[in-house]
Amino acid sequence: MARGLNRRQIGVTSAMIDSYGELIFQWSHNIQTRRGDPVRELDFEAISAQRHELGLSDGQIAERIGLSEIQVMYIRAMMERRRFNTTRFARLLELGGGKRFREERFMAHEDRFHYHDDALALRDAMTFDPARTRHYGEQGWWADGTLSGWLARHASERPEAPAIIQGGEVLNYAQLAARVDTLAGGLHGLGLGPGDVIAVQLPNLTEYLLSYLAIARLGAVMTTLYMPHREREFETLLGHSRARAIICLSDAGGFAAAECALNLDLPKLQSVIAVGAAAPGAVAFADLADGSPSADQMKLPCPVAADPFLLLYTSGTTASPKAVPHNSHTMLGNARLGVGEHLLGPDDILLSAPPFGHLFALYSFHMAMSAGAANLLLPSFTPPALAATIEAGGATVLLAAPAHMAACLGMGLFEAHDCSSLKLAILSGSAVREEMARAVAAKLPDCAITQLWGMTETQGGLYTRPGDGIEIAAASAGRPAPGAEARIAGDGELQVRGSMLFPGYFDNPDANKSAFTEDGWFRSGDLAAEDGEGNIAITGRIKDIINRGGVKYNPREIEDLLDSHPGIAQSAIVPMPDEVLGERACCFAVATDPGIDLESLCQYLLGHGIAKTKLPERLVLVDEMPLTPTRKIIKGRLSLPLED
Amino acid sequence: MEIDPEEAKQAVLEYCLRKGALAAGVADLGALERIAPPGHRPSDLMPKVKSVISLGVGGQTQGAWSVPAKAMGYFGSTETRAYTIAYGAAFFIESKYQKPSIYCPPDMDNEKGPRVPLQSLKLHAEVAGIGARSLAGDILLHPEFGYMYFASIFTELELPPDQPMAENPCPAPSCVSMYRQIGRTPCQKFCPVQCLSGHIDEAGKQAEMHYDMAACAEMSQQYEAVPAMLAEAMAAEDDQAREEALFDPDNKMLWYKMSVGSGGLLAQCFECMRVCPIATQSPMADPIRRAIAKTDA
Repeated sequence: MARGLNRRQIGVTSAMIDSYGELIFQWSHNIQTRRGDPVRELDFEAISAQRHELGLSDGQIAERIGLSEIQVMYIRAMMERRRFNTTRFARLLELGGGKRFREERFMAHEDRFHYHDDALALRDAMTFDPARTRHYGEQGWWADGTLSGWLARHASERPEAPAIIQGGEVLNYAQLAARVDTLAGGLHGLGLGPGDVIAVQLPNLTEYLLSYLAIARLGAVMTTLYMPHREREFETLLGHSRARAIICLSDAGGFAAAECALNLDLPKLQSVIAVGAAAPGAVAFADLADGSPSADQMKLPCPVAADPFLLLYTSGTTASPKAVPHNSHTMLGNARLGVGEHLLGPDDILLSAPPFGHLFALYSFHMAMSAGAANLLLPSFTPPALAATIEAGGATVLLAAPAHMAACLGMGLFEAHDCSSLKLAILSGSAVREEMARAVAAKLPDCAITQLWGMTETQGGLYTRPGDGIEIAAASAGRPAPGAEARIAGDGELQVRGSMLFPGYFDNPDANKSAFTEDGWFRSGDLAAEDGEGNIAITGRIKDIINRGGVKYNPREIEDLLDSHPGIAQSAIVPMPDEVLGERACCFAVATDPGIDLESLCQYLLGHGIAKTKLPERLVLVDEMPLTPTRKIIKGRLSLPLED
Repeated sequence: MEIDPEEAKQAVLEYCLRKGALAAGVADLGALERIAPPGHRPSDLMPKVKSVISLGVGGQTQGAWSVPAKAMGYFGSTETRAYTIAYGAAFFIESKYQKPSIYCPPDMDNEKGPRVPLQSLKLHAEVAGIGARSLAGDILLHPEFGYMYFASIFTELELPPDQPMAENPCPAPSCVSMYRQIGRTPCQKFCPVQCLSGHIDEAGKQAEMHYDMAACAEMSQQYEAVPAMLAEAMAAEDDQAREEALFDPDNKMLWYKMSVGSGGLLAQCFECMRVCPIATQSPMADPIRRAIAKTDA
């Protein structure tokens, strides 16, 4: 094959290129300096004097430094090739038509789109079935909505509309957008960028939502920590998520969260951002939120709906936590479609009783952001605080767990406070007892009560609609959300799929193997029954099934009865191993009557028609149950004490 | 045949103007021969050359300034129009005066690489007095016509030379004012690759002009990109890396430019001219104003 000049032919060595290259490059036309205006003035002396600065030809350079012209040409070409940078063209793409280049505002292509390896690994986990992706796109279930896009739209269209209400202080959408923009710029200043995981452990404060929105604006990924999480959970979850930063309180009710995070041996955790008092070694949230150049000023690229933006850990009621990644398609698409189903609008005021660390609360926020509604914040749940916040803030929509409502009912708070502003209460987070739902409906006659079933993996999967009435809402979790499909398998398990479904657990192939059926449906682990009208009732958990010598039964019904016993505040029945029968039932209970015993409980159950084979065979009294943020009992953490 | 050099000059220059040139002049051949480096002198191209005629045509249409840079970079150049006039002028001289003439090839010297021209059309125009070097990388500017594209005619017809322009319109008063305030002129400030710098003296004249042509060319003339792409593909560790080296969006763009053309590689990005008051606001720089002036006349 023909080949051009090679350096051996013309006597050029690598050493010559290294030695003369820079000089030749500088003297050539590549770098030009002109002093005065000698050519126009035909000042030949000046032209001659500054010839090498004006740019010499290869022949002229050769003469000056004692190389041959062809050698100079070769070395110059090599230097031009080595220094050549193809990315400069990108600078042109946004210029012209009134836009001007500013070095300080320019962000190089490689910086703009740089992802860390961990961020790419998380993106790799966002794998969807191509046929279903196409279907969701064609149906409009997956669109371009992102939190930052929604925020920008509301700030532009309804800047004065309230976005966040906390303790009488109102932040409108324009103010919220400005603060988020600044905070996102601050986070960027810490070296955080698209795809980076940022953990948040905060109560339901304005700072939580600012953080979430700023993380979303940055294109980063939020992972949540519950407020009760301590060092062990920090280490496990921050390590597994490869979090690069955490935003937490400096003092979380006696727990020095920021200090705890700083002391962790997690090399990837580069920044600890403390809300509240200064924490040595931590970045002050206030500094980031107030003093940073904004994301828009820095022209940080906005995320798109396909970008992962949430990495949530399952509530861990049955096993070690699993990481659930979501992008805006799955999560915000589900919320957007839910707005219409729940009859929400921009004038609504949404209040979440659970903390934002739990997806049910984020569902409330996502819907509010989709609708441009207001978020009324309850920093920390107590029954009186919830009722007072509804009254003071004029909440129109309440999202609460059954335990939240039961507590308010028990304390008579719906009578003590004016809750007439409520038009909708969505109950979810744990099993809804029928009597409790009816009782709430009776106390809030102008408020539609609905029930929702969802998981971290699905967000709002099934729900009753406001027009269904209490008969359906008390007895079932309703019908699939738009874009969702549900089926009940032969063993009674509820299985779902659809546009809201997560793609699979992050970095947990074993969990993924068992989580999906061969035909792609997600195994919820919940037992369900359908009423013939399409409404699906959740009847228990597969893992809660007691298998007593081959006789399997769901303890949910027995737990409901025990919870109505006057001497029991809360109960949970779990299987205990048995050499003969395989499993027997053990009842854990928080007693209000210290004299309660197994015998009296069994008599009570028998009196209510429970079969003898389903009676608990051991009673363990505990001071309190381990609870999820939605006050669901974490049965996996109930450990059997040794037999007396 | 007796030829009056002055009359001939007037006839040739009038021909150029009639055919669409905004300005035309005759460069001093002796000066060109002294200034141009060996191999690039007019006589290196045409040994019996007696005169070098330079002409300039207008830059973009007025509307072009409002389009994005990436579009303007492709359609902004109007040099082919200048070459057409020069080609016609060479014929005109030969048919009218029977003196061998050529229109000077504007191309690169194909033995010296892609950024080395055979002849400097800029030098011809400057010595012919139809443009003066600006702080914007020595782009020639004219106080009346802004910036132009140039073409040259070499001829054995001897014509009396013109003088270079007495004054350099660059920097404009507004640019001097800006320089006094921030230390940079508009072209220096807004260059996307920051390839321009320099100084203005106390009298408001150019003291120094620095032009990093390599940086400018990196953006607009990407001759090295394709071989670099091939080298990267050859050194790729696996199929995916090889595929990306050849077909990622940036590289596909380069293939497109090299194969189909899409206007070819850019000559410049025009951002320095977009913000130049001489280029955009000189009385006859704007084609619309030129048309109005013609109508009024």
